[in-house]
This record gives sequence, structure tokens and C-alpha cells, in this order.
Amino acid sequence: MSTTKGTNWSRRRLMGTGLAAMGGLLLPSSMLRAQEGATLDAVGDMMSMAAKPGPYRIGFSNGFSGNSWRAMAIAALQAEAAATPDIAEFVVLDGQGDINKQVNDIETLINQGVDAILVIANSGAAVAPILRDATAEGIVTAPFNLPVDGEDWSTYVGTDPLRKGGTLGKWLSDALGGTGKIVALGGLPGNSYTAAGWEGAQAQFAPGIEVLAFRDAHWEEDRAKVVMADLIAAYPQIDGVWCDGGQVGAGAMKALLAAGRPLVPVTGDDYNGMLKLYDAEKGNHPKFDIGLMSEPTWQGIFAMRAVVSLLKGEQVPKRQVLVPKMITRNNYAQYLRPGLPDGVFTDTSLSDEELAKIFNA
Amino acid sequence: MAASRTALRRVLAELGAVWLAVIGLYAIASIVSPPMLQLGQVFNILQVASFLGVIALGQFVVVLSGGIDLSQAGVVTLTNIVATSVMLGEDTMILPAIAICVGLALVIGILNGAMVAVLGITPLVATLGMNALLFGSALVFTGGAPRGAGAPALDAIGNGTLGGVPVATLIWLVLAAMLWALMRQTVFGRWLYSVGGNARAAHMMGVPVERVTITAYALSTIMAAFGGLLLTAYVGNPSLGIGNQYLFTAVAAVVVGGAALSGGVGSVPATVGGAVFITVLGSFTNIVRVSTGAQFVIQGALILASVYAYRQFARRRP
Repeated sequence: MSTTKGTNWSRRRLMGTGLAAMGGLLLPSSMLRAQEGATLDAVGDMMSMAAKPGPYRIGFSNGFSGNSWRAMAIAALQAEAAATPDIAEFVVLDGQGDINKQVNDIETLINQGVDAILVIANSGAAVAPILRDATAEGIVTAPFNLPVDGEDWSTYVGTDPLRKGGTLGKWLSDALGGTGKIVALGGLPGNSYTAAGWEGAQAQFAPGIEVLAFRDAHWEEDRAKVVMADLIAAYPQIDGVWCDGGQVGAGAMKALLAAGRPLVPVTGDDYNGMLKLYDAEKGNHPKFDIGLMSEPTWQGIFAMRAVVSLLKGEQVPKRQVLVPKMITRNNYAQYLRPGLPDGVFTDTSLSDEELAKIFNA
Repeated sequence: MAASRTALRRVLAELGAVWLAVIGLYAIASIVSPPMLQLGQVFNILQVASFLGVIALGQFVVVLSGGIDLSQAGVVTLTNIVATSVMLGEDTMILPAIAICVGLALVIGILNGAMVAVLGITPLVATLGMNALLFGSALVFTGGAPRGAGAPALDAIGNGTLGGVPVATLIWLVLAAMLWALMRQTVFGRWLYSVGGNARAAHMMGVPVERVTITAYALSTIMAAFGGLLLTAYVGNPSLGIGNQYLFTAVAAVVVGGAALSGGVGSVPATVGGAVFITVLGSFTNIVRVSTGAQFVIQGALILASVYAYRQFARRRP
């Protein structure tokens, strides 16, 4: 079967450079406070195709659903779908963490004749061929959050872990005045997201920053606390902690508390538990400070808007890089959700009521 | 002289060669990284070891009966999720939360035991299936977004100390002592060893094999629930991934402690040593400056070496 059958793609190179800052232009005013300040950068070609008559049926192949980030990501997409008149139906299939099941899920969506498929891939390599098939059949395909190999999909939305890690690294370096001993705690062993973030961070450290250790902490509070307790024993002086997840940061700070050590500047994401901990302990620990950047749970909304635009015949960038706003001591109160569970990712347009529903709180 | 050597050998046989391995590993770790010798770090290791240690006590009972329990990881996760959502950060709900979790564990253990002893399903298959079922239940129960929190008073158990010793460690040692007494002083203990040694022969001698097996699996999941409660007290938050690490480390602790996976061989003090060994190994590789890959290689190699050394030691014993 010809790979171009049924497609009407046209490409137009963006003027001059491959990068155009859109400065949050795509953020509608209806979005709530927490999303203000995030920016979307368009990278590379603009995409478009012949308009299809709406309303559209959109499928979402979610690689797995076993954590609160994914639960919130689905809720954000469902809210967006319900609020979009162009979308007639929104179907979510759960890959259950299984690479093969996700490929089957995407096949199912193709056979159901959906107009567009959103994907968070369990494996960027494994879903690439099936997305190519879908795209060849004229279905709009939009991986988001985690990249998919090659270019045979319609449009991509996600953060840039290298850049994010670098921003957090720079913040930590600055918070320590360019000198100090730090430890770094990552996610699952060998994951590329943490690897890229840590690479970005190291490039931003001032020469006076000494890295004592980098350890995997599985993005789990308990694992981070155990690892940090060992590092505390090994190193009498730890001035700062770099991590790419708020659970890990919170676990590390709890280990410092348990050891009777002062809390220090820490990075992470928009995990409510971290914000609550900062709010509770900042008065007792003068050096305690936070530099946080979310991996937005609502990024799928932009993938959904992109596919709807493509289906309507409008132009959309091949890639959109999301740059979330930093959460620091100055603005954390806007994000803090004191009445909700620690597991909430607070950089969200979902209301307390909607979040309470997701968390059964 | 000969008598004292025999006595020493008897003590070693009961404690298990694993304690020699623990001392050896600790000595090496301390030379490479002197902070390992700080009293604070010793207690930190014993605290962290208590979670695995309590869970491994349950695994030991099942392994002794000739089975294996791979549902413990799911029990730990479910306990953490249920306990935090029942407590919701309220001290008054601690006892109900404990009662519900232990009750659930009891039911799960009886089901495991019945699948193995009555339906004749292979233990590995039965308990791994149960593990998937438990994790799935936790997922359905939370919708992927766990809520709730541990009660503040639990902090005294999870992070507190008594005379300098972590409370969690003391609880672990008390549970171990109780289990040791159950193994050495009661008919049930003797039945368990005989079922693990040769179930058919035990049955001929009038041992109620089914009842003993079901009890073993129930003890295993109840210990897993206790471990999950200690872990919940330590971290104070729900997490759907919290039990995963115990799927195989609990078995590893029991095997490193010298118990035979074929059943009938092993002791409680050696299982305690196995949990300490695995935890010291983790702590040591956290502290030394090695890459993540090297960390796994060192852990795997030392576990294999210790099991091999134990087999050699056991073979030479008269």
C-alpha cells in the first residue's frame, strides 16, 4: 500500500528560522490562572491538510493510566472535548503499560474510523510504524508528552526535557549563589526523560557547584526518602537537591527532616505535596527554597486543539514545545491546593471541585 | 574445645551463614565508605530493613512450606492505598485502617492458600495472578489518582525512635521473635517444616497439609500488610508503585538467608539476616560513587555470590 494514499499533506517552510516563539498566543483567555505564562514554541514546518467536514471523532491511545498525572491528563482532555463543539466523540483506550497492547489499541482506533488519534507512547519506537499507517490512511496523528521516532505523524506537542532540566539546574545554581554541594535524584532507572533533564542541568551549573551523587529514585516518595537517607549519612554537607519530580523532592526533604538536618533549595514539579511541605516548613528552615516547573497535565489539550485545527484545514506547526512557567517562593501560593491530596499536580486549569472528583477526595 | 566448636556450629546453623555475609559486607562497605560506620547510619539501615524484613518474614513461612508468594507486592500497595484513604490524615482512624488492612490481607492469604492447597494451582502462577488482581483493584479503587494521607500519630512508628533504636526496627524484631517461637515451640511449626520437606509424607503422618498451607499463605499476606503499614507510616502518602520493589526482594531476602525454595529448610533469624543483607547492599551501592548500571551489577553479583557461598557452607556441614 502506498504510504501517500489518501493524504493531502502540504508543507510550507516557516520563514527563515525553524523556531518561532508564539508567546502564549494559543492560550485562550478561558484558561485559568495556573496556565497563564506558559508558552508554546512552534518548531519546524507548518502542516496542513484538506479540510474534513466535522464534527470529529477523536481517539486517545494512552500508554498506561497508573498514576495521578495520567488521571489528570485524561480529565483535562475529556473536559476539553466536552467544551469543543467540533468534537462529536472522544474515545480513550488504555495500553496498560504494555507496548504491544498499545499498538493493538491504535489499530482498533484506525478500524473504528476515527478522524484523529492522540497518543502518549509507551515506546516511541514501537508505535512509529502503526502511526505511519494511520497517517497514510488520512487520519490525523498527534503524539504528545513523549516523543515518537521519525516524522511520520502529523503534529507533536511536549516539553523539552533538556531545556526544562537546564532551567531547573540554573535556578538551583543561582539559589546557592554559584557554590555548593548538591545531589541529584531521578526517576525510573535508565529513563530518557531524566537523562535529558540531568544533562541540561549539568550544563547550567556554575563552576562552584559540586555534584556529590546522582541516584535513581523511581519518581516515588518512599524510594527518594530511602536513597536520600543514605546520601545524608555519606555526605555531611548537602546544600541543594536537583530532581525532575516533586514526589522525589518531597521524599528527599522528608529524609532531611527525619535526620534533623536543615532543609535546602530543591527543584521539582507541581506536585501538591511539595508545595504543602514548603508552605509548612519554610518558616522553620531559612535556607529552604523551591524552583519548580510542571510537566503540564494539560498539554494534551494543545495536541487536541492542533488536530481539530488540522481537520478544519488550518495550519499547525509540526512540533510545539511547551515551556511551563516557573513556580517559586514568589508565586507558589497561587498553585498550592491546601485542601486537596498531595498527589494533585497543581499547575492545572481544573477546579478544586473537578480535582476532588478525580481524586475521590 | 571440640564441644565449644560444636556449640558454635549449632549457633551458626540456626542464625545462618548470612550473618557472616552481613558482617563481611558491612566491613567492606565501611572500608570503602567510612560513614557506614556511624551509629546513625546503622540505625538508618535497620529502619529501612524493617519494611523488607517484616515482609520477608511472611515470605519465609510460605517458602518453608514449599511455595512462593508473589502477591506480597500487591498486598503492600493495596495496604498503602487503603490505609491512607481510610485514615485521611486522622489519628482516630488508625485502628480501623489497621483492622481493615489486616482483614483484607487475611482474606487474600486464605484465597492464595486455597488456590494452592485445594485447587492445586502452582504457587507461582496463583500468587502472581493474585498480585495482578490486587494491583488492578488498587488502580480501580483510586482511578489512578490516589488520595488520602497517613495519620500524624503514625509518624512516631514510621520515623520515631525508642532509646535511639527506630520503632519500626523494634516492631520487626518483635514480630520475628514471635514467628521464631511459632516455628520452634509449636506443633504448627513442626508441621510446616514437615509439609515443606515432603508434603506427601506429612499427609501420611496425619499432618493437615491443606490447613497448614493455607495458614502459611495467610501469615505471608498479613506480614506483607504489616510491612505495608510500616512503609505507609514512614512515607505518609499513598503511591500506586510503592509495593513493586518487594515482588522479588522479599524472595531474595529469604533465599539469601539460606532457605531452600524447594521448602523445608530455613530459619527466622537467617531471614532477618537476609533482609539486613539486601538493605546493606542497597545502602552501600547508594553511597559509593558508581553509576546506576554498576549499582545493579554489584547488587546482583553479591546476591549470587552469597547464595553460592551459603550452599557451599551448608554442604560442608555435618
